[in-house]
Amino acid sequence: MRKIIYPLIFALLAFPFPYSYAQETYKIGAAFALSGSIAVYGEGFKKAVDLAVEEINASGGIKGRKIEIIYEDNKSTPKDCVTAVRKLITVDKVPVIFGPAASSNFMAAAPVAQENKVVMISAEGAAPGLTKAGEYIFRVFPSDVLQGKGISDLCLQLNYKEVPVMYVNNDWGMGLKNVFVENFKKAGGHVMDEIPYDEGKTDYRTELIRAIKGNPKAVVNLTYIKEGAVMFKQAYEMNIKVQWICGSAAKSPKLVELAGKSVEGIIGTYPVFSQETKEYKAFRAAWKKKYGDEKIPIFAEYNYDMVYLTAKAIEKGGYTSEGIRRALFEVAKGYRGVTGDKTFDQDRGVGSEYGVWTIKDGQIVDYKKKID
Amino acid sequence: MSSFLLQTILNGILAGCIYSLFAMGLTLIYGVLNFVNFAHGELIMWGAYFLYFLMEKPLSLPLSFALLPALFLTVLIGLGSDRLIFKPLRKANRLTLLITSLGLSFLLRNGAQLFWGAEIRTYGLEIKKGMRFLGVSITLNQVAIIVVSVLCIFLLYLFFYKSRMGKSMRAISDDLELARVMGIPSDRTIQWTWVIASSLAGLGGILLALDTNLHPGMGLINLVKAFAATLLGGVGNLWGALFGGMIIGLAENISIWILSPGYKDAIAFGIMVVMLLFRSSVVFSSKE
Repeated sequence: MRKIIYPLIFALLAFPFPYSYAQETYKIGAAFALSGSIAVYGEGFKKAVDLAVEEINASGGIKGRKIEIIYEDNKSTPKDCVTAVRKLITVDKVPVIFGPAASSNFMAAAPVAQENKVVMISAEGAAPGLTKAGEYIFRVFPSDVLQGKGISDLCLQLNYKEVPVMYVNNDWGMGLKNVFVENFKKAGGHVMDEIPYDEGKTDYRTELIRAIKGNPKAVVNLTYIKEGAVMFKQAYEMNIKVQWICGSAAKSPKLVELAGKSVEGIIGTYPVFSQETKEYKAFRAAWKKKYGDEKIPIFAEYNYDMVYLTAKAIEKGGYTSEGIRRALFEVAKGYRGVTGDKTFDQDRGVGSEYGVWTIKDGQIVDYKKKID
Repeated sequence: MSSFLLQTILNGILAGCIYSLFAMGLTLIYGVLNFVNFAHGELIMWGAYFLYFLMEKPLSLPLSFALLPALFLTVLIGLGSDRLIFKPLRKANRLTLLITSLGLSFLLRNGAQLFWGAEIRTYGLEIKKGMRFLGVSITLNQVAIIVVSVLCIFLLYLFFYKSRMGKSMRAISDDLELARVMGIPSDRTIQWTWVIASSLAGLGGILLALDTNLHPGMGLINLVKAFAATLLGGVGNLWGALFGGMIIGLAENISIWILSPGYKDAIAFGIMVVMLLFRSSVVFSSKE
């Protein structure tokens, strides 16, 4: 038996499979959430990535070679994200990976990529420390740090120079609050009071009363959907008439569903890109052609840009992780993607413009005054 | 500024009313059955969710029609837990009962989560601006909370001091064995205790949810407050529970003058810790 098996294994190792000659591709790993709690997002990301890959390959690939995405299910858990990334690195030997969604999942797997010197990119993570693992970790989605400044700018633009700030008492809320307070003070604003509150309570009246103690005209409230719904409802019942200013985390139809007319007129910031650019219009048309509808899933545009940037980096720097890492900075500089300018900063993140949303007649719409 | 003070006092009274309703039920069970029912918080939550269930599709009952059936269903849970769980353990020691009620509380809470999910829900009633008096705003729901609480207290007073059943309950609360010897039907009295405690919990839960929202965890945090109120007022003492609930509600709300509201809950916990230091016998050892 052995006499047969050993030569057979030897033969297999010595002569690589014929099809790898026929179709040499550039392989890119993608550790996506294809099952588990956030699989509903993963599906949309995959469609966006597939669209970009199809376009690139149809127009001749990278110097004549096609791109191939190796999808690995990360099952939406940090543990399986690590497993998926490890598999892509050791078995598939890819030099670049599209990382998992959800900041905590991404950050669990990032050190693995960094240790193995493999480039990993996030198209959805908002946590400020997302790319901290090292020089191989990139993001094409803006950090919450920018959001804090965005809210500060919005307050000043609307001429609210004295505001109290309420925030969810966790890492996200505190981080965002700190950035806001720092920027607001620097710009000459006065923070009247800082009011942390716990997640998931049903009664925030005390917090609300404290917030309006000095009769402010506006209150900054860094809230999630649930907490916001409870608060705005109670504020309405208590006849509190202030301008509420929120971040992007509360921007959801669910907020209106829970809090009804009490959220009418609140405003908030969110990262935006113009939908009027030729890049965006081309993307939308391509999406409609491939998938037959215009229901573009959340963050699909960021995933689409990520594929193009990666392809350009492979073309410029070569198909090695070191080459891609270096080239990413160059190709991204001044690159106008579907989601706007993708120039990387020193933390391997991107900037963003911020838009302002408001709720009018129960619908989330763009606030008429835009931040530049 | 005075309107600010008045508003905090009003909020304190509102919170106090709710806590008192919960605490009175809790202390009643304790008085008669001699253990702290940790599942009491879940009766609060189920009461609120039963109303939600009746008001949502497919039943879509209006609030006025759904109220009594919701209370009835809550009472059924209370009676059911006694019949199936606490009755077989009537002679068990306190620690067993304590752990059992804790287990039941998990079962009921996760059960609700299984049916309705963990997200916050509302009854979907129209939101109304509060009325204004002296710079203080109060909604109709909040008026209802105060009226219903006062009514409950009045009815409880009549029940305990004028009715035969109420007197039996007080007798059993004083000494179960002696009451039995005197020919007081303990089983029926215990059942009535559950009926009253569950009704108070269900009613309080519904009022709370009407004023705020529904959440599977709403029972737990309020149980802690009710427990602190019970300890403050003297365990097993109905009027003490009323008093304790009011004190905690007011203390929590007025505290924001000096404390950050994030620490509001610490007040009830603080009171609880202090009271337990002096009256730890309540939870673990047998009745003196």
